[in-house]
Amino acid sequence: MNTKIKVKVSHLIKTFGDNQVLKGINLEVHDNEVVVVIGPSGSGKSTFLRNLNRLEAPTSGAIVIDDMDIADPKTNINKVRENIGMVFQHFNLFSNLSVSENIMLAPVELQKKTKAEAAKQAKDLLAMVGLESKYDATVQSLSGGQQQRVAIARALAMNPDVMLFDEPTSALDPEMVGDVLEVMKQLAKQGMTMIVVTHEMGFAKEVADRVVFVDDGNIQEQGTPDEIFNHPKDPRLQNFLNKVLNV
Amino acid sequence: MRRPWIKILSSLIALLALFTALQLTAAPAKATTTYQIATDSTFPPFEFANSQNKYVGIDIDLLHAIAKDQGFKVNIKPTSFNAATQGVQSGQMDGVIAGMSITKEREATFDFSKAYFMSGVVMAAKPNGKITKLSQLRGKRVAVKTGTSGAQYAQSIHKKYGFKIVTFDESNDMYQDVLTGNSAACFEDSPVMKYAIRQGTKLKIYTKPALSGPYGFAVKKGHNQKLLRMFNNGLADLKANGEYARITKHYLGAKGSSDTTSDRTFLGLLKQNKGALLNGFEETIWLTIVAIFFATLFGVIVGLMGVVPSKFFNGVSTTLIYIFRGLPLLVLALFIYTGIPSLTGQKIPAFIAGIVTLTFNEGAYIAAFVKGGIHAVDDGQMEAARSLGLPFGKAMRRVILPQGIRIMIPSFINQFIITLKDTSILSIIGIIELTQTGKIIIARNLEGFKVWTIVAIIYLIVITLLTWLSNWVQRRVRL
Repeated sequence: MNTKIKVKVSHLIKTFGDNQVLKGINLEVHDNEVVVVIGPSGSGKSTFLRNLNRLEAPTSGAIVIDDMDIADPKTNINKVRENIGMVFQHFNLFSNLSVSENIMLAPVELQKKTKAEAAKQAKDLLAMVGLESKYDATVQSLSGGQQQRVAIARALAMNPDVMLFDEPTSALDPEMVGDVLEVMKQLAKQGMTMIVVTHEMGFAKEVADRVVFVDDGNIQEQGTPDEIFNHPKDPRLQNFLNKVLNV
Repeated sequence: MRRPWIKILSSLIALLALFTALQLTAAPAKATTTYQIATDSTFPPFEFANSQNKYVGIDIDLLHAIAKDQGFKVNIKPTSFNAATQGVQSGQMDGVIAGMSITKEREATFDFSKAYFMSGVVMAAKPNGKITKLSQLRGKRVAVKTGTSGAQYAQSIHKKYGFKIVTFDESNDMYQDVLTGNSAACFEDSPVMKYAIRQGTKLKIYTKPALSGPYGFAVKKGHNQKLLRMFNNGLADLKANGEYARITKHYLGAKGSSDTTSDRTFLGLLKQNKGALLNGFEETIWLTIVAIFFATLFGVIVGLMGVVPSKFFNGVSTTLIYIFRGLPLLVLALFIYTGIPSLTGQKIPAFIAGIVTLTFNEGAYIAAFVKGGIHAVDDGQMEAARSLGLPFGKAMRRVILPQGIRIMIPSFINQFIITLKDTSILSIIGIIELTQTGKIIIARNLEGFKVWTIVAIIYLIVITLLTWLSNWVQRRVRL
């Protein structure tokens, strides 16, 4: 595996009022690595992910992505964000724009691509997620699973080095989950650096290079899927796995 | 990140500059010989608009004759009596001639000319003879017009005779209150009452003129002394050459200048006042269009200030909305028109004051729903746009505003209709728009019900057209 460090998080603390949600997280993510973050709800894993592209501003600590500290207010966060794609639990497709316009907006506005170039790219991306027929469709006419795949295509349009997934399948009907996970697996195979917050343990086992267990605002244990799922050491992790795997 | 603030700031500065420019261009050049004279819009036979919508009356004719005699020019601005006196006090106006009695209280703040007319207060009541003496007023309501000698007289005797005073801004409203029986009687200056009765008001005068008082032309105390001297000299000349007698006889003689003979049907009234109503209507439309333009600009800017990620701008937005939505439109109009010139010494033309008033008031409402419309767009839309690297301004313009505007459109249409209706309140600062035109016509012919019906129908027609236009636009833009 390439050992270049892509994302380095040092002693990240995030508080909301009196509530300390992240209590000093340290994490390194290497190039091309797929890291899956698991943990009980309310453990702070989504907040952690949202700090990585500064949708939430860190209270203290450092987050260095490609040698730029995004916790530093002087960093041009918009530039950094162009290289970090994010996929949300509720898709958040722009409801005033069509499917193709959703994908083309950022490349045209930020990369100064021509409409034609961006349109060609949108077609390719839609083909990749299996939705080329939806090019001109409205967002409202798509199912949840389709919307999420368009959202992934939208994030990929900026050619990011890192993709963040915030519970991408939690809001989907069960029969839609497979299509979205399939697209994510494909991305992982292509070598995309991915940080995925999810409850899909099957996905974690199959795709993750490393699984990180977060509870109570801190990383309690991390390791390969085999170490985490077959030989958990932390009692909280054992307890968590018992609950999610033996339903 | 810094760019949007600069844009918003520069827009604000441009807006201010525009207002200043408007004010400068609209303010009449201060020619040495043209004086701005305030008068009451509804005080016949001293001042009223005739059926050609020209201002006439004893005061007006005298003033014009004196100006001609003494070689100066006057620009007469009809407004309400209170606004007229306040206009002089705030320096908006150089003098006031409005059937104004010379009293001790007024002499504290005004310098008066020599008396040009002797008047007195009379009591008028329904001609059925139930109320014929002051002593019969015990426990009853008595109508007076704000700020007049009649009101002062009522104040001085209401304890003695035990009646309750109700005040009105317009003579016609006061007469109507007596005619409907809400008030038992009214106190009015005798020439005014006589003129009204001759115009067909079904009231009768029962008392001899009391508080016999002189009318004077007034300037702000210590100011415009030259104008005051010229008025006195001119008045003496007119009395000497018979012009004074001719003017007063024209309005008060046995064959006074009244138009009781004219057609008093709806169609007749509409025909006689076509010109006046059309002018008033035009003024209303102008006020509405200009006010909507600036209020939208102001409202959108203040609304956006409420949603940008800056505590300072959010605070400014909330405060502006709180103040201007909290103030009654009437108070705001009077404050801007008479209050601000008192503070700055700078005159504001009534039209500009009206536009500023509507801009702030309607703009505050627009700001509130612009803010609300943007907040109503799901937070996830902004997060998704920002996560792609779009700066706040671009995310706002391309993603949030297009969705927010769709939510705001019905509120905009509603606010435009409200703005049109709210222009009527500006009649208080003497803008002769549709409502003020109605008041002026009624002051002359005292046909309150019919004239208000005509005015109401005109408003309804315009509002209907505006609603159709809005719906059409809404369909066209397919938002």
